[in-house]
Amino acid sequence: MSGAVWLSYSLQDLVMFGPEVFLRLFVRINQALWPWLLLWPAAALLLPWLGRQNSEWPRRLAMALAGLAWIGCGYLFLVRYYGPINWPATGFGWVFVVQGLFLLMLKGKALPAPLAWPTVVAWWLVVLVLPWFAVLQAGEMRALALFGVAPGITVAASVLLFAGQPAPLRWLLLLLPLAWSLFSAATYWALGTFWLLAYPGAALVLSVLALRTNPRPARIPDLRSARPGRGHRSSGSPPG
Amino acid sequence: MLELSRRRFLIGAGLGGLAMASPRLFAADTASGPEAFLTRPIPSTGEPVPAIGMGTWITFNVGADQYLIDQRTRVLEAFLERNGTVIDCSPMYGSSADVIGAGLDRLGAHDRIFAATKIWTSDGSETREQAATSERRWGIDRFDLLQVHNLLAWQEHLATLREMKSEGRVRYVGITTSHGRRHRELARIMETEPLDFVQLTYNVLDREAEERLLPLARERGIAVIVNRPFQGGSLFRRFQSEPLPPWAGEAGVGNWAEFFLKFILSHPAVTCAIPATTRVEHMQENMGAMYGRLPDTGQRRMMAEYVRKL
Repeated sequence: MSGAVWLSYSLQDLVMFGPEVFLRLFVRINQALWPWLLLWPAAALLLPWLGRQNSEWPRRLAMALAGLAWIGCGYLFLVRYYGPINWPATGFGWVFVVQGLFLLMLKGKALPAPLAWPTVVAWWLVVLVLPWFAVLQAGEMRALALFGVAPGITVAASVLLFAGQPAPLRWLLLLLPLAWSLFSAATYWALGTFWLLAYPGAALVLSVLALRTNPRPARIPDLRSARPGRGHRSSGSPPG
Repeated sequence: MLELSRRRFLIGAGLGGLAMASPRLFAADTASGPEAFLTRPIPSTGEPVPAIGMGTWITFNVGADQYLIDQRTRVLEAFLERNGTVIDCSPMYGSSADVIGAGLDRLGAHDRIFAATKIWTSDGSETREQAATSERRWGIDRFDLLQVHNLLAWQEHLATLREMKSEGRVRYVGITTSHGRRHRELARIMETEPLDFVQLTYNVLDREAEERLLPLARERGIAVIVNRPFQGGSLFRRFQSEPLPPWAGEAGVGNWAEFFLKFILSHPAVTCAIPATTRVEHMQENMGAMYGRLPDTGQRRMMAEYVRKL
C-alpha cells in the first residue's frame, strides 16, 4: 500500500481492536500468572534497594531483574497476548526481549554507581501508583498493570535506570522506551482509554526529569573510564 | 460456502417466515405482524442474499481471549438466528478470521453462511496462498466471495481471482474500498472489469457513492456491499440521544439502527449492508432492519434532511 493511502487513514482506523479487548489483556495475563504474579511487585520493590547498594553484585542483580522484567513483558504481554490483535506489538515485543537480554549482558556496567535516593523514591512511586491507572480504566482490580508484566509501567520505571547511565548507552537504552511511549500513547488516544495515557506520559516526564537531574558524563571526567563495581556516583546521589 | 444456496435460502426463508408468525417468539419485534425478511439478488446470478450481513472489522479481533470468543460466538448465533448469512472479513483484521472460524465450529454453521473475505497483500502473486490461509482460518473449503481489499495490487489479484472463479475455487469476485477513498479509480475498474461485487462506504452522512458508484453498479449489474453503515459507530454517538422523527414509523423505522440501515437498504443499488457489533442486543436491532417496510424516495430525502438538521 502506498504511503499516500496509509496517510489517508485516521489514527482510529489503524487500531483494529476495541478498548474492551485491550483491557482484558491485563486481566488475562494476571490470571494466567496467578499466584506467581505476587513475585513481580516484590521484585519491583526490591530492585531499587539492590540498585542502591555499594557492592557490585546487588547492583548486578538489580540490572538482571530489570532485564528479566523487559523479557517477561516483551514476550508474555506483547508477543503472546497483545500481538494477535495488533501486529506491531509482536515486533515491539521481540525488541523488548532483545533489550532485556542486553540488560542482562550489561550486568553491572549499566549501574556504575548506586542509585540516588530520589531515583529510588521515584521508582517506588511508579511501581506503587501506576498499576492503578489500568484498574481505573478497566473498572476492575484484576486489570492491575504490574512491573515486569505490563509494558507501560515497566518502561516508565526503567527510564529511571536508563537516564542515569553514561552516554551513549543512555540514549541507546532510552530509544525503545521513547518509541514505545509514542506508539502506546497514540494507541490509547485512538482507543479513548485516556487513563492509560498515564503510562507513556510518566515515561516521558520521568525521562526528561532523570536526564535533567543526572549530569552528562563529560562533566565527570573519571566516569568515562569507569569500570563496573568502582562505586562511581551520579551527581546528586547521596552516599549509599 | 453455500452449495445449493438458492434452495437452502428458500428453506431458510420459509422457516424464517414461520418463526416470524409466532407471536410468542417475536411479539416485541413484529408489531406489524408476520413478514418475510428482506433479500436482494446478486445481479450476476440472481442468487438472493439477506440484505443485512455482518462486518467483523475491530469487533471480532479478540485474539485468544476465550471469554470474548464465546461472547462473539453468541453475536454470530444471534445473526444466524435472525436469518443473516453474509459474513465479511479480511486478513487485515487481526484475529477476526480465527474468531469467526471458532464461532462457526461451535455453532456447526459452516454451511449456513455466505463467506466473504478479502485479499490484502501488495504481492500480486500471493492471491491463492492468502485465500487458502483464510479458508483454513475460517474452517471452510472455499469462499463464496473473494474481494481485492482497498484496490491493493488489484490488477494481479483480480486476474487470479477470475482464474479461481473459473476453476470453481470461489463463486464470486469483487473489489473493495472504504472511507470514501479512491472512488474515481474504483469507478474506472467498475467500468472496465467484470465484477460480481463491489464494497464501499455509504451511510446517511457519507453519500458520495450516490453520485457515480451506485448508479454505475446498477448499470453494470454489480452487487454492492456497504461497509461502515454507522460510520464506525459515530452515527450513534452523534444522534442516538436525539429522538427519532415523528414520521419514523411510517418509514418502517423503530430505532436508530433501523434508521441508518434502512436508509442504506432503500437505495435500489444496494445489495447488502454489513454493520459490525460486539453485542447480541445490537445485532438483534441491526437484523431488525431486514423486516418491515423500507423508506420510499421522499422519506429517504426526509431522513437525510432530518439528520443534517440535527
